[in-house]
Amino acid sequence: MRDRLQRIRAEPEHYTPAQWDIVARCGIFASRQDYLEMLRELCFSLAEQKIEEHFQRPDIELLQMVRVLDEFDEVINLLTERLTEWYKVKRPDFSRKYRNLPAKKMIAVMRRGQGGVFRAMLDEIERMGELRTSLMRDVSSGADLLMPNCSALVGGLVAARLLSYAGGLPELARLPGSAIQVLGARTALFSHIRGGSPPPKHGIIFQHRRVHNAPLRVRGRVSRTLAAKLGIAARLDYYRGAEDKEFLRNADEAVKRAGEDQ
Amino acid sequence: MIWVEGVLVSKGAGGVYGERILQGCRVWDPYRSKLAAMYYLGTGPELEPDQIVLYLGAANGTTVSHVADSTAVVYAVEYAPRPMQDLLEVARRRKNIVPIMADATRPMEYALLMESVDLVYQDVAQPDQVSIALKNSIFLKPGGKLVLMLKTRSIDVSRSPPEVLAEAKEGLLAGGMRVEETIWLTPYHQDHAALICTRE
Repeated sequence: MRDRLQRIRAEPEHYTPAQWDIVARCGIFASRQDYLEMLRELCFSLAEQKIEEHFQRPDIELLQMVRVLDEFDEVINLLTERLTEWYKVKRPDFSRKYRNLPAKKMIAVMRRGQGGVFRAMLDEIERMGELRTSLMRDVSSGADLLMPNCSALVGGLVAARLLSYAGGLPELARLPGSAIQVLGARTALFSHIRGGSPPPKHGIIFQHRRVHNAPLRVRGRVSRTLAAKLGIAARLDYYRGAEDKEFLRNADEAVKRAGEDQ
Repeated sequence: MIWVEGVLVSKGAGGVYGERILQGCRVWDPYRSKLAAMYYLGTGPELEPDQIVLYLGAANGTTVSHVADSTAVVYAVEYAPRPMQDLLEVARRRKNIVPIMADATRPMEYALLMESVDLVYQDVAQPDQVSIALKNSIFLKPGGKLVLMLKTRSIDVSRSPPEVLAEAKEGLLAGGMRVEETIWLTPYHQDHAALICTRE
């Protein structure tokens, strides 16, 4: 019944919605209750089929993985910061000034001579860091597989984040380059549209070294070019699914040219 | 509508989304539901126990569950898979909800599942809200009501909400709907207006 229904097409010019008294006269359903039960059964099965199809898309899992990764980072940083504050109470003479201590080193410093719950929490954060690294590898290799062209242009992680902001690979493939350029800069974009403030030059693609290493004067141009090429790359990834060496070479060249001070 | 000590409620099995229960009835919060906000502002068509409703933009089924408490059948249309999972769960326990997973901009895709309805309620975050409402008015009986929750910011963030509302009213009028009343949903919801219309 489900498959039969999907083959029938309704046309707006000839359509009139069903009326219960006419349906009743057909004599198929003993009562309106029967009719509704049957209809509900059909609708449930249609919806369940569609949901299943959606969650079987390979990009949907990658999207969730990269969101977990980003939130994991946030949690690790937050806890490290808070434990540092706690450490300063335990050791009033400790200061981070003039010592360039990244989070990882900070944990090693704090662990020295400490025990109990404090130490156990530090160990836990370290383990979370290891987990994070292996998740990052999974995301990165997943993106290489699913979006070879985008990953070749900006790296697997940034490609996966673009995917997450767009909501899926087909959605990303349908975006124009100008939208890809500001994906992840929602607040700045809307404050620009609503009134006056300058438009954002870049969103998530800022994380790519060629954008954030570019001199300020040409950064807008670099991110514009890169985003345009990413738009094409996403379409290649979605509709073809294989790496296009020639396109990548040309795209690389174009982005490099955009970064040269003219 | 049922009011208990000045609080809007509906009668039905509780516990759908952790709503408060007042004298055995489910409290219907105007800050969560735009439809409830409209009733709090003292307007809108009453929900009747024999009504058939088409609900566009059903989301998690929170408001849908209240509408289903007060009417005969609710055809609930939702497009996104995540909220649809929740909606199915609500519909499993409320036998008068028909959950339809489809795109409200393409009514012909679910037209075969539909029947004539007394009320179309629409709450979708799309730029073409007016055209969605008009396309779905084919399901509406003559004289039937359309309640359109206009999200002005979804239509155009850069234009002022009253301007967007005026344009929406014109669009509905041109499409054969008589706009009987419009009301802003402040203080419950910002930049949202309820448009109550009748099909000619």
